[in-house]
Amino acid sequence: MSAVVAEHEHDDHHDHGPQKGLLRWVITTNHKDIGTLYLMFALAMFFVGGAMAMVIRAELFEPGMQFVNPQFFNSMTTMHALVMVFGAVMPAFVGLANWMIPMMIGAPDMALPRMNNMSFWMLVAGVLLLASTLFMEGGAPAAGWTLYPPLVLQTGTALPFAIFSVHLLGISSIMGAINIIATIFNMRAPAMTLMKMPLFVWTWLITAFLLIAIMPVFAGAVTMLLTDRFFDTSFFDAAGGGDPVLYQHIFWFFGHPEVYVMILPTFGVASTIIPVFARKPLFGYSSMVYATASIAFLSFIVWAHHMFTVGMPVAGELYFMYATMLIAIPTGVKVFNWTATMWKGSMTFETPMLFSIAFVVLFTMGGFTGLMMSIAPSDFQYHDTYFIVAHFHYTLVPASVFILMAAGYYWLPKWTGYMYNERIGRLHFWISVVSVNVLFFPQHFLGLAGMPRRIPDYAVQFADWNMISSIGGFIFGISQLLFLWIVIDTIKGGTGIKATDEVWEDAHKHGLEWTLPSPPPYHTFTTPPATVPTEHI
Amino acid sequence: MKTIKQLLAGLILMAFGLGTAQAAYTLNLMKGVTEISNDIYDLHMLILWICVFIGVVVFGTMFYSIYHHRKSKGHKAEQFHENTTVEIIWTIIPTLILIGMAIPATKAMLELDDVQNADMSIKVTGWQWKWEYEYLDNGIHFFSNLDEASNKARQVGSDIDPRTVPNYLLNVDNPLVIPTKKKIRFVFTAADVIHSWWVPELGWKKDTIPGFINEAWTSVDKPGVYRGQCTELCGKDHGFMPIVVVAMEQADYDAWVKKTQEEAAKGPDLSEQSHDELVSKGAAVYAKNCASCHMAGGEGVPGTFPAITGSAVVKGDIKDQTNLVLNGKGMMPAFGKMLNAAELAQVITYTRNALGNSVGDEIQPKAIQELLPAGSAPAAKEKPQEKVDASKKMSLDDLVARGESVYAQNCASCHMADGAGLPGTFPALKGSPMVTGDINAQVDLMMNGKGMMPAFGKTLNAVDFAAVATYIRNKLGNSVGDSIQPSAIQSLQSAMPAEDDDE
Repeated sequence: MSAVVAEHEHDDHHDHGPQKGLLRWVITTNHKDIGTLYLMFALAMFFVGGAMAMVIRAELFEPGMQFVNPQFFNSMTTMHALVMVFGAVMPAFVGLANWMIPMMIGAPDMALPRMNNMSFWMLVAGVLLLASTLFMEGGAPAAGWTLYPPLVLQTGTALPFAIFSVHLLGISSIMGAINIIATIFNMRAPAMTLMKMPLFVWTWLITAFLLIAIMPVFAGAVTMLLTDRFFDTSFFDAAGGGDPVLYQHIFWFFGHPEVYVMILPTFGVASTIIPVFARKPLFGYSSMVYATASIAFLSFIVWAHHMFTVGMPVAGELYFMYATMLIAIPTGVKVFNWTATMWKGSMTFETPMLFSIAFVVLFTMGGFTGLMMSIAPSDFQYHDTYFIVAHFHYTLVPASVFILMAAGYYWLPKWTGYMYNERIGRLHFWISVVSVNVLFFPQHFLGLAGMPRRIPDYAVQFADWNMISSIGGFIFGISQLLFLWIVIDTIKGGTGIKATDEVWEDAHKHGLEWTLPSPPPYHTFTTPPATVPTEHI
Repeated sequence: MKTIKQLLAGLILMAFGLGTAQAAYTLNLMKGVTEISNDIYDLHMLILWICVFIGVVVFGTMFYSIYHHRKSKGHKAEQFHENTTVEIIWTIIPTLILIGMAIPATKAMLELDDVQNADMSIKVTGWQWKWEYEYLDNGIHFFSNLDEASNKARQVGSDIDPRTVPNYLLNVDNPLVIPTKKKIRFVFTAADVIHSWWVPELGWKKDTIPGFINEAWTSVDKPGVYRGQCTELCGKDHGFMPIVVVAMEQADYDAWVKKTQEEAAKGPDLSEQSHDELVSKGAAVYAKNCASCHMAGGEGVPGTFPAITGSAVVKGDIKDQTNLVLNGKGMMPAFGKMLNAAELAQVITYTRNALGNSVGDEIQPKAIQELLPAGSAPAAKEKPQEKVDASKKMSLDDLVARGESVYAQNCASCHMADGAGLPGTFPALKGSPMVTGDINAQVDLMMNGKGMMPAFGKTLNAVDFAAVATYIRNKLGNSVGDSIQPSAIQSLQSAMPAEDDDE
């Protein structure tokens, strides 16, 4: 009898909606709520990091020092990178993973919902701690996001806070990654075999393994900085028998896979969106999976291509050059597959597709400059100039960030139950795609002409392109407010157009999430679906 | 290609109403003035063209598809989604292209790495935020700072238009002078944090790392002035430590060497200066050397750089302050190595009597000169002026004691302070067969040099030479027990062929 009652109560519990009031967002263990929290937090940090970029571009608008002193400028470049990497791009993809992975694999929630809540709030704590260093004596860290010693050891009061913040962010990422792996391995609907999973799920599975492998390495490196500064160790101090270059090896062993943490889920989203709008299955599903795995593997054995000029033995230079060049092969396969997916399709160009196509083209441009920089002798010229600034911004802004925009437009109707404003969405796209190129393309010229990166002021022959780059930057920055407006407008149902379950034509053939109502109920797939779509395979 | 790009660039510029028909900007990598930089340029162009070609094919296909295969044109989607043959083809073709790129890249890499058979060596040390150059063959030694005009214009709120400053941020007070058509080997290290030495026209950059030695080489074809910058973030004034290399014909270079050595031989002016003179001249020394950290008004940067105004050190005993300025502490560099006695006296007196301080005392150049370790002040180091009595017989202990500081100044930067050397580059002295073997063979090597080892017979006096030769044999883990006397060294030195730059 009591067992029956207990079961009844249990069922009843499932029918509850979310908790009322603000506390819902603090204590929630629901994957959709936590996904929303991650995405909102990432969007907020995108604007915080963006504001720092505006300070940088304003100072670089003209030669001479106009607005900030050089130390603060260095803090801005450092904090811009840290906030964008750890506060915006990574959390945004974790947010997408939280929202979409359970719905894509037919699971009721993430495998470890309470840890899910904890990893989000640890992220907030970490980023707030990092931001607090801006107000400390001696200023925020100013040694670049790579935190190279000995320079970083000259940081003022902020150093231990920044290091502890990295620890928190690392723990948060590792917990998130464990959760994603546990969910994918244990919670799939019975029909969802590994090789039927959508590529977004595949790329996140691989990314999660990368995160677990690298975050402890980074935590170790910064802990060694901590003991060097406060406990008289000499890990990175030659005078005590240490080696400053050792830090760079450890950092880039983390750092190179880290940049792939920001790009692999991007590949997954692009592989999800392009087939839907081409009305064709993804071309070469299994080669996409293998290419992603190859890229992830290669990311661990190429780290020292960030260090061609530190004075490695020539055999080391050659090895890292060859290994790095290899990355072009699986990456090329991906680009060819996306092109083949579009080929002979029946394409329409809604905002998610526009952003995805721009991603393929502009990411490939970033890939080309990456290939150029893999050539070690040429890198002796390119290294630490604006050429590399252009390179990694092409792979991060019109690649990762554009795909995050695409994902936003693609899934917003599913999440909110309303269509977004397509006209403003396309306007946002066109302004973004033009301004982002005005912003970053001239930086190739600046780097080749000899402008080093991370300088607050420059020789007058660099003036014209810097001014153009800054103008592009301001337009790009301001135009992102359109996206903010669209998100708020869509949540409020501003367009008044109710989204259908599948939102996009025949999308139900491409992913399980489109078989659910829009917006999906608070709890979905409490029983696993019997069949899964195979169109994406 | 270049014209098309420039045309495009021009169009973009015109669109922004900048009208830059005469603007001095470049779009592409510069062709350099060395063979290797031209090889790198060719390599760069090769890869660039390959990328352009692949880009045209891939993007061309994509845009063809976007234009033709669209729903609005009524195109029906085909449902193919796999083709193993195609996948294999587009894996193999890129692999072949990559192999084609790797061959010339490997060649250039090996060429860059070959520092053998250099005609001369220059040691470059990166400092926050200046460069130190030491000519290992003729003892010339100086620091190179951002020039004064740029330094004034680059201050926040200076109201000086950078366009009116010639070579804004790319000009220095003392440029590095090198002869053309000579293979010059550079050894790089740093005194505080990591820097990176880059002159685009030479074709490469190299990091300078504290406690470590890096090498690179160049051979400049044509005389000229080549400008570069530090390219590794090194703190606040990373953007303000340019590099200027002046390459001149051998004859001009020889004349420069002679002139520089003569000037250095004069040494600093140690005559007594009035209090006001010290303070007024000290202001300029302060602006150039101290203001970037302690700020122009002496207020410092809280939490990082202490204020001069009201500082306990400055208001305290002048000896303590002098000691701190000369020898450094923590992030404060040892200015005893960088400034001459007159400049040091001026700037110390200035800080005590300006910037809100009014201690009222002063220190004279002569008093500073006595505090500087012999041979470490720039003026003294460039030309050994110390009168030495080489005929006096010295005990083993005396030689070893004197040898320790000679070793630290002349040998430790390569062979390391503990004599362990750098495996693969600089041989260890500890247990070296050369050191534990016949003393005459060791003296001969030190006297005349070999490969990367410079000829110290020209730069050390007989006493220092004998001292360090003896020190090496009896310290650093060696205990041969013998010694060589200065008189023996002197007779060997007088037998050396005189060189024209050796006055």
